[in-house]
Amino acid sequence: MSQWLNHVLERASTVDDWLSPVRAQALDTLKQQQWPTRRTEAWRYTSLHPVADLQLQTGTSNNTAEAPFIEGLNSLDLVFVDGQLSTDISKLQLPEGVTISELSAPSEPAEALFAQVKPSHHLFGLVNDVLAQQGVVIDIAAGAKVKQPIRIVNFASAGIESHQRTLVRVGANAQATIIEHGSGSGNSLNTAFAEYDIAEKASLEHYRFALHEGESIHIGGSHFKLHDHAKMNSTLIGYGSQLTRLDVDIEHAGEHAFAKFNNVYLLAPREHFDLHSTIEHASPNGTTEENARGIIGDRAKAVFNGRIHIHRHAQKTLAELNNRNLLLTRGAQINTKPELEIYADDVQCAHGATVAEIDEEALYYMLTRGIDKQQALVMLNFGFVQEMVFQMPNKALADWLQPILKTRFESMMEQQ
Amino acid sequence: MLSIKDLHARVEETTILKGLNLEIKPGEVHAIMGPNGAGKSTLGYVLSGRDGYEVESGSVEMDGKDLLDMEVEERAQAGLFLAFQYPVEIPGVSNMEFMKESVNALREARGEKALSSAEFLKKAKEACKQVELPLDFLKRGVNEGFSGGEKKRNEIMQLIMLEPKIAILDESDSGLDVDALQVVAKGVNSQRDGKRSFIVVTHYQRLLDYIQPDYVHILSKGKIVKSGGPELAKEVEASGYAWLAEAEAEGADA
Repeated sequence: MSQWLNHVLERASTVDDWLSPVRAQALDTLKQQQWPTRRTEAWRYTSLHPVADLQLQTGTSNNTAEAPFIEGLNSLDLVFVDGQLSTDISKLQLPEGVTISELSAPSEPAEALFAQVKPSHHLFGLVNDVLAQQGVVIDIAAGAKVKQPIRIVNFASAGIESHQRTLVRVGANAQATIIEHGSGSGNSLNTAFAEYDIAEKASLEHYRFALHEGESIHIGGSHFKLHDHAKMNSTLIGYGSQLTRLDVDIEHAGEHAFAKFNNVYLLAPREHFDLHSTIEHASPNGTTEENARGIIGDRAKAVFNGRIHIHRHAQKTLAELNNRNLLLTRGAQINTKPELEIYADDVQCAHGATVAEIDEEALYYMLTRGIDKQQALVMLNFGFVQEMVFQMPNKALADWLQPILKTRFESMMEQQ
Repeated sequence: MLSIKDLHARVEETTILKGLNLEIKPGEVHAIMGPNGAGKSTLGYVLSGRDGYEVESGSVEMDGKDLLDMEVEERAQAGLFLAFQYPVEIPGVSNMEFMKESVNALREARGEKALSSAEFLKKAKEACKQVELPLDFLKRGVNEGFSGGEKKRNEIMQLIMLEPKIAILDESDSGLDVDALQVVAKGVNSQRDGKRSFIVVTHYQRLLDYIQPDYVHILSKGKIVKSGGPELAKEVEASGYAWLAEAEAEGADA
């Protein structure tokens, strides 16, 4: 057992709002959970040692922060600092068809969504159920085509433990762009879980940036439920920190749903990043395209677990998952595990994981253009993840991210 | 400009070039024709320094310097350009950054100042226009998802940008329709300035209708077996390469 988890259980009862009955239920489930060890399959390659006996300041902090400016993005920002919402929602000019409320305020969508999309067995998801007092509920009305991206900024400061929750409902035929923009540094623990319910023929463009670094610990997930003919296009960017663990679940609840999920992790020396993705094809005619690409620095460790589960009735499913990794040194580590469970007989499914090597032909081509070998290798290696950035539908975000990732990559190369 | 003497080269255990000689002076355009398997593409790879293409004997000098002693990128920096028969796709690297890096690497090697972003963009736009590629292509990955014709035009766009001393065009006509062929030829001809030299490697005479060579050489089994003026290409067009086998048989008899 962990001191930290014991402390969570003690603190749980202090939370009192309209969600209390739901939280009580989550608490019951949480009490029955074992503290994961390396023998627990979901945590086999990620040690929870840094969390087990963690003691940080909980409750409110006085820290403030500005949302990072992204040129041309023009987003509607909801800023959380250490789990506290610092944006005054009542003063926001909301685009037509958008309703935003605080988690603590009772609302129909909150009730319909809370812990409905997120898997109920996730230990830290349950901790978040129990402890997250603040969060936002975003409701996109049926048919609303919302152009302005909505960004949830989530800062974690040194010395603080925080929990944040996001609930989103995209109504039938609606369109929206949501960005979860998280960062943290110093010795901190932040959990952030988001649930997305994407109704019939709705379309969600989604980004999750987990730009946590150094000693920070970030554990969270984004969970999506797709109904008939719903579409999502999601890009996840992770840095890796002392410990970053993300669970992304995509559930094809309705037929003819489409999910594209790209993710990139760029680990500086000694950092740890763990991504578990689970794609549930519970209905026929669904499509999933998932691409994960990682570059792993010296003595850093990445874990990728990609599961595709095609249920018995999910005929005509098309699912592709590809994970490619580039290890910068012999000390870099990747544990990649594809998992396929297929119970339908008329499906197309491809699944692959590789540790990449340099494409010799591409290198030769670059050299014939006079580019130095060292520079050509930098461009090719970075090109490997940059390809994912190019695919981001939002150009302002891509233009902002590209140089940031490039600088990070160049400093990773220099540290070799 | 370029002097190739008795060049022998092999790929793995197979010797492909078996004593090739070629003298190219500034401003000259030499066409090299020959049947499949004659060693046409090998010549381009050997001159550019591709791994796996081993020179057994002979020499190649460019402007009096030993080309074979240089690394691949040094050859490019010295002014050698190879337009690929099958240009390589590099999805994560944009044409823009690829060309900028390349142009500036060559400028630096020549002791010139790197181009600013604005200067580079202006030049790139002009080059795009010349080979009729849309501008948005600069933002796309290198050759990513390009049609065969677009890839070939992209090679010529690079030729225009990089201003080499000598350019080897490896079957720049293959897979092109007449319209695309004309665009490629026009791009190449715009770069003929009386100083820049070209080696135009092709299987067919067709390309040479648009890019007029000064000399035509027939390559067979790793050697140049016949040289002449542009009229030699017409002969090949009329009679194919079958006469090569006969000539060789006669040669063996003699």
